[in-house]
Amino acid sequence: MQNAKDTFYVALRNRLATVNPNRTMLLRGAQRPSILVEEAEAVVAMLPADTFVLRWTGLTTDTNLPLTLAKMECEMHYTTGGTAAAFGLDRGRALEEMDAEVIGLLTPRSTPKMDYATNPVTQLTTAVFWTAATFMPAATVRDRLTRYAKVAVFAYQEQGEL
Amino acid sequence: MSADLSIRNYSPIAQRAADALLRSLGGFSVGLMMPSTGVGGAASEIGITPQTYQQLPLSPAIFRRVRVTMNEGEPEKFELAVSASAIATQVGALQLASADALFAQAAGVTVNGKMFLIEAVTAPEAFGQAYLYRLQLREALPEGM
Repeated sequence: MQNAKDTFYVALRNRLATVNPNRTMLLRGAQRPSILVEEAEAVVAMLPADTFVLRWTGLTTDTNLPLTLAKMECEMHYTTGGTAAAFGLDRGRALEEMDAEVIGLLTPRSTPKMDYATNPVTQLTTAVFWTAATFMPAATVRDRLTRYAKVAVFAYQEQGEL
Repeated sequence: MSADLSIRNYSPIAQRAADALLRSLGGFSVGLMMPSTGVGGAASEIGITPQTYQQLPLSPAIFRRVRVTMNEGEPEKFELAVSASAIATQVGALQLASADALFAQAAGVTVNGKMFLIEAVTAPEAFGQAYLYRLQLREALPEGM
């Protein structure tokens, strides 16, 4: 399952660099697209603004197939307070822009599965595929609008794979 | 009634007074955990390559418990008051735009070798210049690190 999670993240990160090259952040001393895996970063008290945060939650498996099919639930959390130039009055527009980017990031809905634990990175034989995003209602906390989108990510467990 | 638009030149007196107060209250040195630069790429972003940190000394600083009562399983909270001049030195050394950028990059603070996470930062100001930084800290749980 870890390879599928890694592949899903890297695919979305690379797509974000194309969909909106300006959405970048400085994290741990490195400039990168504004998307991160929550469980692979330091614990923070508050979600970073204008950044997509991937949170892995549910996991189910179907073993009645030649290869075990894993279904992983991924939540894409994002929050924005708009821009300082507009004194935050554009936060609704900023959230809508991020909604549109989520759709862009998830299209097309599959990518070849990779093993990032090897050096060099190796391509596996199956693909990682996912459903369309289910958007949850936006929540307002003080000056920030927050939303998350749920995606079900599927991957076959190949022989010898973690 | 008219607004006071007179120009007030910056004076470091508040910062020096705060530093003196911190020292007189037993100010000591704490370490700000900053990620080492130059580590990037997919392996770092998905948790394969371990991140290395450098400790930036901040002094003088005082450390105190925010609340004495505790609930089972809930980490204790603490407050750290740090000299603004120490923060300004590190902001300059790292060539960052502001103290906010410094704290946003930091993974936490070590006090006597123990790790704490930064929950919130406030900075009282005099003449538009911060003279002290107050950090609300939370004890880092083993599973959180």
